[in-house]
Amino acid sequence: MKKVAATALAGVVALALAACSSSPTPTETTGSPTPAPVDTNTSTPMETFDVRVAALPIAETGALWAAIDEGIFAKHGINIEIVPAQGGAQAIPALLSGDIQFAIGQPFGPFRADAQDLGVVIIGDYADSLKTGKDVNAVVALNSSGIDGPADLAGKSVSVNSLGAAGDVTIMKAVEDAGGDPKSVKFVEAPFPEVPAQLDAKNIDAGWVPDPFMSIVAGGAGHIVVHPYQATIPGLSVLTNITLQDTIDKNPALVAQYSAAMKEALTWASSNEDAVRAALVKNLEIPEEAAAGITLPTFTFDLNVDDLKQLADLAVGYGVLEAAPNFDRLIKQQ
Amino acid sequence: MDHLSSNAVRSARPAILGFAGVLFFLVIWQIIPALGLIDPTYFPNATDTLTQLAKDLGTASLWKDIADTLIAWGLGLAIATVLAVTFGTVIGLVPFLRRATHTTVEFLRPIPSVALIPLAILLYGFRLQAALLIIVYASFWQVFVQALYGVADVDSVARDTARSFGLTRSQRFRSLVFPTALPYLITGIRLAAAVALILTITAQMFIGTPGIGRSIIFAQQGANWVEVYALVVVTGVLGLLVNIVFRAIERRVLRWHESVRGEELL
Repeated sequence: MKKVAATALAGVVALALAACSSSPTPTETTGSPTPAPVDTNTSTPMETFDVRVAALPIAETGALWAAIDEGIFAKHGINIEIVPAQGGAQAIPALLSGDIQFAIGQPFGPFRADAQDLGVVIIGDYADSLKTGKDVNAVVALNSSGIDGPADLAGKSVSVNSLGAAGDVTIMKAVEDAGGDPKSVKFVEAPFPEVPAQLDAKNIDAGWVPDPFMSIVAGGAGHIVVHPYQATIPGLSVLTNITLQDTIDKNPALVAQYSAAMKEALTWASSNEDAVRAALVKNLEIPEEAAAGITLPTFTFDLNVDDLKQLADLAVGYGVLEAAPNFDRLIKQQ
Repeated sequence: MDHLSSNAVRSARPAILGFAGVLFFLVIWQIIPALGLIDPTYFPNATDTLTQLAKDLGTASLWKDIADTLIAWGLGLAIATVLAVTFGTVIGLVPFLRRATHTTVEFLRPIPSVALIPLAILLYGFRLQAALLIIVYASFWQVFVQALYGVADVDSVARDTARSFGLTRSQRFRSLVFPTALPYLITGIRLAAAVALILTITAQMFIGTPGIGRSIIFAQQGANWVEVYALVVVTGVLGLLVNIVFRAIERRVLRWHESVRGEELL
């Protein structure tokens, strides 16, 4: 009886919410997008798709915003809407709900989803870390901390934005390679924007951050300890294009057109960094000076699967993943 | 005449006190970063923040954020209120239902709405409905519990009197249950309005639906701390306005009630 009442209540709330929705049934899990209403004419050579793509509100997404303004997606019949969702972990539930068709996210989300066989696939790369020079992210510490190299991180508290992902895995490897004990690093979770303040407050000894926070600390009272990606798997993918196997099966034209558009967009973005930075100022409200100093990644659609395998193996080695994902099932490079 | 002037002072006193309170708060805010108690880089002082806010007020994007926030808040509060009043009244009036649901209600009520964000996204994606689920869940209980106790609080002598005078069921509801429950409901809705606003901002921060909450996250990602606090001030002002509006509604709707009449006598 009580259960019935609770279920009924939840049901009514859900119904009430569904009633004020003009979108297709939100619980539909087909992942298939609605073709644009104007495009019912089958004689048109290319179908137009309305596509919602989740992307983090971070510097890397500048490439996407700029490419949209450039008309690259429209040219490929992709009417794209960027959903700037916070927290990559939520992109997968949103994919499964059918609300979004693609997500730009770190490869660890799909790794974990694959362990549960959720039908999540990586269809292409998006952004890679840099093989040399100043990388896109770093472990930073205050000059007064006495942490000079990765070996000094042993026994210290180091923040990452989410535990059990590429950040802590590559940091552990960097510490190990430098002769430190990777297991002694105390990882804590802190959102990137909090790191500079947490360092100053001595709540953490070091923190893993991308720009603009990397430059804020390194340009202030701190310095870069190590670029963990570059130090362990140079050029490792930072962000990838994610969708569902179901979408590929049921809507191959959509996936083909989206992939072609994304490929062109990323190639274009890598040679139009000024446009990417301008898009950041416009969409993220990053001050212009800060946007100018941001280290941009290598934008590419071509996955380096060996790098991802290496990352998964490291994660298994450190007990972050129970088993390496099934890469044949997970990687569907378009 | 003495009586009049003291009355004028009395009615002006809350406004003066309120103004002094705000001023005191602003001074403290200005002093904290100046003294270096909190690094001014991460906690800008009042003047910088309010200057930024003044600048933002001239942009369309802030007003769009405010509109999006108020729409989500209003929808959420309306849905929660309708559901809660309906369920609260029915369950509150039927002792059997009340006993049957008591444990479930006490189990569901303390669940933090924020914990349901993954579920909301799984059901609705990054859409307004997902935010509404979070808002409705949190604010529902505020009104529901008040409705539950409100309709059950009918004075037993009054109820017996109504019965012996042969009032019909609908007459009893209109002139007995409703007036008894109304003060409870209004209080519940006022509390729910504040809770709904908090959850609207939270949902925008963590689901990413457009509004002030999402802009706060964007400003954080851009390390734009002055903008973060300018937006925080906007949420505070919205909360204040919501409270003022609902206090006014409360006074108007319940002007016959002793709690409100009593207030005026003081």
